[in-house]
Amino acid sequence: MSKHIHRRDVLRRAGAAGLAATVAPGLFNAASAQTADLAPYQAAKVNWKQAEGEQITVAVIPASYFENLISLQPQFEALTGIKLRFEKVPPGQIRQKAMLDLSSKTATYATHAADPMYYALYVANKWVEPLDKYLGDTSLTDPAWFKYDDIIKAWRDADSIDGKPYGIPYDGEVTLQVYRKDLYEAKSLKAADTYDQLVANAKALTDADARIFGLALRGFAGAGQNMYIYPSLLRGFGGSWMKGKDIVVNTPEAVSALTWYVDVLGKYAPPAVRNWNWPDIADAFSQGTVATYIDAHSSAAVINNPEKSKVVGKIAYARWPKGPSGKRVSSLWNWGFPVNAALSERGKKATWLFIAWATSAETQARTSWKFAGPAKRSGINRMSQWRSPEFAAAMKDAGDNFIPAALESLEHDTDVDWRPRVPQWPAIGDTMATAIQSALVGQKKPKEALDEAQARIQQIMKG
Amino acid sequence: MAAAIPSSRGLPTLESRERRFALSLLGPALVLLLLTTSAPLIYLVWTSLQRIDLGMPWLTGFAGLGNYLKMGDDPRFWNSLLLTFIYTGSTVILQVVVGLSLALLVMQLPRGQALLRIAAILPIVLAPVVVGLFWRTLVLAPDFGIVDLVTRALGLGSYNWLGDPQLALISVIAIHTWQWTPFAFLVLLATLATLPPDVYEAARLDRASAWRTFLHITLPLIRPAVVMVVIMRLMTALSAFAAIFAATGGGPGSATEILNLYAYRTSFTELNLGYGASLAVVLLSITLAISWFMFRLRRART
Repeated sequence: MSKHIHRRDVLRRAGAAGLAATVAPGLFNAASAQTADLAPYQAAKVNWKQAEGEQITVAVIPASYFENLISLQPQFEALTGIKLRFEKVPPGQIRQKAMLDLSSKTATYATHAADPMYYALYVANKWVEPLDKYLGDTSLTDPAWFKYDDIIKAWRDADSIDGKPYGIPYDGEVTLQVYRKDLYEAKSLKAADTYDQLVANAKALTDADARIFGLALRGFAGAGQNMYIYPSLLRGFGGSWMKGKDIVVNTPEAVSALTWYVDVLGKYAPPAVRNWNWPDIADAFSQGTVATYIDAHSSAAVINNPEKSKVVGKIAYARWPKGPSGKRVSSLWNWGFPVNAALSERGKKATWLFIAWATSAETQARTSWKFAGPAKRSGINRMSQWRSPEFAAAMKDAGDNFIPAALESLEHDTDVDWRPRVPQWPAIGDTMATAIQSALVGQKKPKEALDEAQARIQQIMKG
Repeated sequence: MAAAIPSSRGLPTLESRERRFALSLLGPALVLLLLTTSAPLIYLVWTSLQRIDLGMPWLTGFAGLGNYLKMGDDPRFWNSLLLTFIYTGSTVILQVVVGLSLALLVMQLPRGQALLRIAAILPIVLAPVVVGLFWRTLVLAPDFGIVDLVTRALGLGSYNWLGDPQLALISVIAIHTWQWTPFAFLVLLATLATLPPDVYEAARLDRASAWRTFLHITLPLIRPAVVMVVIMRLMTALSAFAAIFAATGGGPGSATEILNLYAYRTSFTELNLGYGASLAVVLLSITLAISWFMFRLRRART
């Protein structure tokens, strides 16, 4: 979710800083010390300086929620004496780069923004450290200050394998229905509560001649694209990924889910949607050509950008509709930080201190509502903060029902088995993405595509 | 003789000293070459004989020819092999035919040849990734792409050029042909310019038709150049990657997944490094075999 800090803003601040530095150096120092107020961190009963002098590199993706964290880097260095370097890696490459580093044990990245679906793979190869010992070690973590249990449970579970945490969530999201309340009101429609209503709404709103399309869902091939929407549909239709210990992807529920997906995109979505990822959908919605989409709550930042969006003030949110099984199934996504097992003991401590700092309530607040720039993070990791008035105030312009819909989804609609959590996930995710796409573009029938995927997955699993 | 024998044991001859000097000059470059090209290649072959799947580290071990045997019942491998041959065959034929036609046409132009040559170089100097992205976003995108604007203006309708399986294959073939036809064009133009005028004069006196002149004079004369172009284009087409990767990523589904892309996806997306390496070795063998065959063909007839 990239939302750029306005250039004017940066220039103004840079100018002001320059002015302060030249006119009154003393004043400037005082001001920077004030912004770097470390007291909330020093309240923790841990020695932040215990790994002083270490150097760590952290790989993140170039997105506003990480940019906000990067801007706080001097504060972390002042607090711990650890030299911190961020490396920005595009989202399409971060998994590969991290894996290259982990598998060759070069320990280039002390930690990286990790895809929760990759922990099973990391753990099978013993590439990352179990974090229970860091959480339990009072010389490294002050439990009363850090409050691990305050972090959203679904995200903690997603970053754990067999009950052991391997990553600490920094930023996450839920999937919501995002719709144009003006268009809905004009046809006296309500946000869909079931898949059938979603289709009925889409049908009523689609007017291809006027270039208005009722519904858009990610259609592009990829483990994080069409395999971001399809798992929710599969679970909504009552399907599951595992049969005992085996992965089965061509169940009758799976075929119904894929058929529904193919049907809806074919009838009510913009023709190019099969090549679209979320930014394309958010752009189309901003231009007013899409009436409803289902995607990450954090896409609100894009559709509310007054410079690009024509629909600001006409947006409302609702939870995923219920599937035929009666279940609403949101995505389960967060960027968490693991500890690279190839580091030295001191390096691991330094990395843990970074993770504890970045995922602490104070840093979460400083990258969200306390952040000076316009991009206030909406994916904060703490339940108590989701309920806080400060967060509500920062998100008040996102649209109707934003925080309630997201909170309810976080609490009720997330599901750890949303996608199959096995070490072979990269291969399975890619196979499924390819199969789903071949059905979406009409190369194969849904049943045929899933049967082929099943054959391939069986081959992958047996090796 | 009598003087040479002791000198070869004691003082080296000038020749052997020169040879040693040449070897010491060549040495570093040779070692570097071995380290950077041969060593990874041997490692690739070694990897292809192993069972290395990062998704299942507990199975790691020596596999012998297991990875190669697995290809037998892997439909995606056969699909990618078929696509590789379709892609290579059609792009090479198109490049030579279009390149030669353009060269013959441009030869007739009294002026402006230099300008056309410069224009022809432009696609070649672009990085294939840039070409792929350029076609994807500006040329073939539905609604905004140039091709789509043209087909809509002609009343042929709007198409999802890279989203439809058949159109996508045609599109990536068109992209490759667009980028590399200028190469064939330039080489053949240069060759045409060197042809002796007297044979053509003789043909003209014999009242040979233009088609017969082309078939019996031009074509045999430029044959070595055509074969050379075919060899070079074959090798590039077989190992094509970046433009397809940028334009379609092998999709939709596996509609444009040539062997090279399949090997990449197997290794780096599915993390099955052993199987991916064996796929790469197969591609390498095919490229070597075809090139060897073409070189032999060239030597036999010229």
